[in-house]
Amino acid sequence: MIEKISNITEAIKKNINDNDTIFIGGFGHLIPFYLTHELIRQNKADLTICRSGADILFDQLIASKIIKKVIFGYIGNPSVGLSHSFNRAYKSDIIEVEEWTNQSMILRLHAARMGVSYLPSKILQIGDKPSNINYLKSTICPYTGDLYSAIPSLKPDVALIHAQHADKYGNIQMWGIDGDTIEGALASDKIIVSVEKIINNEKLKEHPEMTVIPAHRVTSVIELPWGAYPSYVSGYYSRDDDHYMEYDQISRDEEKLLDYLDEWVHSSKTLKEYQEMIGKERCNSLEKGQCGKK
Amino acid sequence: MTQNNYKDITINKRIAMIAASELVGYRSCFVGIGIPSDAACLAKITVEKNLNLIYESGAIGAFPHTKSYSTGSPSIAHGAEMITDSLSVFSELQAGRIEVGLLSAAQIDKYGNLNSTVIGSYDNPKVRMVGSGGAHDIACLIPNLFTLMPHEPRRFVDKVDFVTSPGSGLELDKLRSKYKLGRGPSLLITDRAKFKMSVDGWYLHSILKDFSYEDAIEGLPWNLKPPASEPIIINQDIISSLDAIN
Repeated sequence: MIEKISNITEAIKKNINDNDTIFIGGFGHLIPFYLTHELIRQNKADLTICRSGADILFDQLIASKIIKKVIFGYIGNPSVGLSHSFNRAYKSDIIEVEEWTNQSMILRLHAARMGVSYLPSKILQIGDKPSNINYLKSTICPYTGDLYSAIPSLKPDVALIHAQHADKYGNIQMWGIDGDTIEGALASDKIIVSVEKIINNEKLKEHPEMTVIPAHRVTSVIELPWGAYPSYVSGYYSRDDDHYMEYDQISRDEEKLLDYLDEWVHSSKTLKEYQEMIGKERCNSLEKGQCGKK
Repeated sequence: MTQNNYKDITINKRIAMIAASELVGYRSCFVGIGIPSDAACLAKITVEKNLNLIYESGAIGAFPHTKSYSTGSPSIAHGAEMITDSLSVFSELQAGRIEVGLLSAAQIDKYGNLNSTVIGSYDNPKVRMVGSGGAHDIACLIPNLFTLMPHEPRRFVDKVDFVTSPGSGLELDKLRSKYKLGRGPSLLITDRAKFKMSVDGWYLHSILKDFSYEDAIEGLPWNLKPPASEPIIINQDIISSLDAIN
């Protein structure tokens, strides 16, 4: 078996090119913050990023000016407020946008995962359609005559996701909230995964039903404990809701946001530095929080 | 909590308690974060113990005991009876297997169209908001839809700036039937009153006890006659459980 363990610098440098379309995993849970920050540190350019519900990681990528286009169903800071960097970029017309809905985004990824060019759906036939998805066409069922929108497939070049466990061959085990993470990963040509822990193959095989992505589909695996902070990882640590709240205040102001990115992204070149930024005390408290270590 | 005067109850809790009363008899409810989630939780612990709460993140049979920020938050996952993926939940929704949905938005109009996309024009907005998420999908597909809005007059308009989540009424009903969609919003709940949908848009159905007709329509742009129904009185179980929600 081929071993897939890599380091973050190599994995991103080798597998992601400027202009690529990147799916970013995590639905409230398992958001690959540290892994994705590497795109900013390596100053990649003209990327397209996509997923259904996008939170502050998308905001940080947009603020870092490495994004050409964003494809989403929702973009904000859940329950806290808006994605301020997205809003600034949207209003000044410096990014391209394709605005779908969560269900249509998931169907787009599912179509790519299934290897078909579209899927029929009842949604997006009434109501206002954003002008940037005016290319959406409709279709008629050849059996019943029912009318559907023809949701086009979306096949990303690379998926960046975070999970609990992998073995050295790249078998990925994940539990808890998935959202569209597995869908988006399996829709993509390459899959790069950061995990809390590399476990051995024998242990992984005790529960093969927990393997959600098989080794042969995975490009690289990197062990990055706390890599999903400030989101959470079931069985490891809870979500830092305070960080999300503070981010709302910070990201309203471009200068403050640059300082934030300097601290949390540019100056956290090693995982150890990222963990130091989080701090021991906060780590302990998040481990004891809901969905943290039992 | 014992509350003699409903005006002493917070706005969000008043909406949640009216909405919870409306969930009696339902078995499955598609919920978003915020007041919808509070309302469904309140129903679950009081008047409708058989209600299954379903979140777009894939959590089913969830019951958040603490504040949830995201539909994928630890409080949604913790104690859920099932966690599947979003595709499965949206598939159940499209197949008509989830009975009722609760939605809120920044703006609502006379026909229950909801806006969570932009204030102003789409290409050059005054305020750019979060977009649909699953709201459009729920509004199109769910068989029964309740809309929940705090009574803030600026949120109630003649015509929403952008129809993120389509409503009902004469013209839209025709399209809903043509595309075999859900019937759209049938109920609007504010912290002061309950409105029902007719072919001509919302009419004022009933007013929460301790509020007047003037309170119920204050600042709303629609032509609303006094209601024929008696004031809304909330089940005591619901009132005593209001402390359980955030």
